[in-house]
Amino acid sequence: MQLFLKDIVPAAQNNINTRFIILDKAKSPAANGKNCIALAADETAAVHIQLWGDECDAFEAGDIVKLTNGIFSYVRNNGLVLRAGKRGKMEKMGEFTVAFVETPNISEIQWNPDPENPKRYIQSGVVSAYSRIFPPLP
Amino acid sequence: MENHFDTSKLIRVSLHEVENQLELSLRQAFESLQPKLRPPFSLEIPEPQEYLELNKAIVYGVLCEPSSSKTHIKHLHALVTDGYAFFTSLLIGIVVELYVKLVDSAKIQLICVTKEMIDVSSVGIEDLLVSLLRRIGSGDYGDQNVWLCSELVSLFLEKWDCLLEDMPLVLTSALYSFLRLLADHYRVLGVAKLENVKRLEIKLCVKMFREQFHLGLKIGRDLILLLQDLSHVSEFREIWNDLVSSHCSDIYQLKTSSRYFLLRITPEMETQLRFLLGNVKLGSHKRHQMWFLKKFLLGPEKETLLIDIVRFVCCVIHPTNEIIRSEIMPRWAIIGWLLELCRQNHHIERSVKLALFYDWLFFNERMDNIMNVEPAALLMVWSIPQYPHITHSLLEFVLHLVETYEITSRDIIVRGLTSAFREIERKGVIRSLDIFLTNPALAPDLKKKLANLLSCHHEKVPVNLHQLSVPSKQTFLSSEANLKECSTKIFDTPDQKLDNSVENPAKHEIPG
Repeated sequence: MQLFLKDIVPAAQNNINTRFIILDKAKSPAANGKNCIALAADETAAVHIQLWGDECDAFEAGDIVKLTNGIFSYVRNNGLVLRAGKRGKMEKMGEFTVAFVETPNISEIQWNPDPENPKRYIQSGVVSAYSRIFPPLP
Repeated sequence: MENHFDTSKLIRVSLHEVENQLELSLRQAFESLQPKLRPPFSLEIPEPQEYLELNKAIVYGVLCEPSSSKTHIKHLHALVTDGYAFFTSLLIGIVVELYVKLVDSAKIQLICVTKEMIDVSSVGIEDLLVSLLRRIGSGDYGDQNVWLCSELVSLFLEKWDCLLEDMPLVLTSALYSFLRLLADHYRVLGVAKLENVKRLEIKLCVKMFREQFHLGLKIGRDLILLLQDLSHVSEFREIWNDLVSSHCSDIYQLKTSSRYFLLRITPEMETQLRFLLGNVKLGSHKRHQMWFLKKFLLGPEKETLLIDIVRFVCCVIHPTNEIIRSEIMPRWAIIGWLLELCRQNHHIERSVKLALFYDWLFFNERMDNIMNVEPAALLMVWSIPQYPHITHSLLEFVLHLVETYEITSRDIIVRGLTSAFREIERKGVIRSLDIFLTNPALAPDLKKKLANLLSCHHEKVPVNLHQLSVPSKQTFLSSEANLKECSTKIFDTPDQKLDNSVENPAKHEIPG
């Protein structure tokens, strides 16, 4: 099932299928040199994504990306990020033609376990309306 | 995971890219029908579905196997029952969707098979040629692009007789394309490989004017805009003097068809401009604008593309009333941005402004579309509160054209401009011309000039600058409050101003 970004919830599962447009990409990869953080969005929400290895060079701002079997979870140093992970894949499927919003950003939301179902996470607060790593253009 | 990176012989596929469905369907047809693509060919008439699959397989074979392309073409000739319509439509799909990714040998084959389709007058060949013309990039002097330009201009010369007989209008499209490209090719200096292309382009264009002048005239008023940029080239100066100058007034009356403006806009550029102006909200447009700039407009040679984009936006993209009423990015905002981009280069800036106002100069309310002049009108109005210098510079520019733009056509221009101003008020694009005539933000001499110009129609069209009644007013004003802010409460008496106007020669020319 194809999800909108606003409907994605953190989980330790590689089962997220979605598509988004990349808005911005951190210039230099993180210290370990193998991954980099980018801002992505669709019509409903924004999210931080983590690109791994050659994905870092393969995608540019303005690219529309299809994510198959992705995962949305905490990654050390990068916070809550959407990524392909070992079992998923990201593929460029176009450019430009997505009308996106930059708020809410689901990586900037406080998620806590659902008291009724501790395996699920629910939103408990907004840390920041917009990305703190990639602020909106002035 | 299926590895398709090196399985396509048609296109270059990069890492992390979704498989292209068109390429996939052609390749699969080729792979599954391969045994049938070698002689002896089956004499049986294929089922409709197999017919389509065979066409796909042959397209793939022709483009990917240069050594057996003759065989594939023979097969096609034996097989075809639809006037090559499906085959040609596949080629058009490839040009529109895949051209930039095609491997070099496939591009060469594409030109060959296009010539083949001209020879058989395939159904849709005109569209194929137009889609190829649109693939010649502006301001791109890389080998690939210069090659394509050279191949196509040669193709039109080589197939001249055939094209003239079967589809003369495609020659008009070629004339438009190559006149426009020539202007760019003369502007760029020090690109040796362009010399031969320029020679061929001149040959084709001159042939067109000398032998088929009436076909050239079909471009309409933009023909003159194109020729002006080539006035320094002796061949075109002669053509101007011999042929065009005596027809100017007729040519100006003919609005250029939107098909021509598409010729200098690539399919990708068209998609993005349409998306910007149809889906992106004003206020959250900055990233899209930046991407568009980065993809299409970076580099000094690309600046002339702004002229084509402005003509395209004014004359081709005509948003629905629903979009106009919405928060979607309006055309005037895009044009304001494009004007900002060329502020460093006065020559380009002038050309872009001329492109913006060109239809104003010859506006005829019975034939011209108000939507072609709407962007400039709204840009002037919406700039008043925060950027009055933009309004001022645009108004000054357009009024200055009366005195400077082709003095022999002054009467026509006065009439056209006056009609355009009247029509934007009458149709409610702007509430009232008072927004210019009595605005304290604009210089008095400019307002006087405008009032003088408008007086030319005074006897024929009763002027009531105070009257605001127009049926579609609300369609154009998404925020009337802003506009009210712009217009002043002081009303000059327009009639007095009009009486002050000096005797104007144009007055006698205006038909009843």
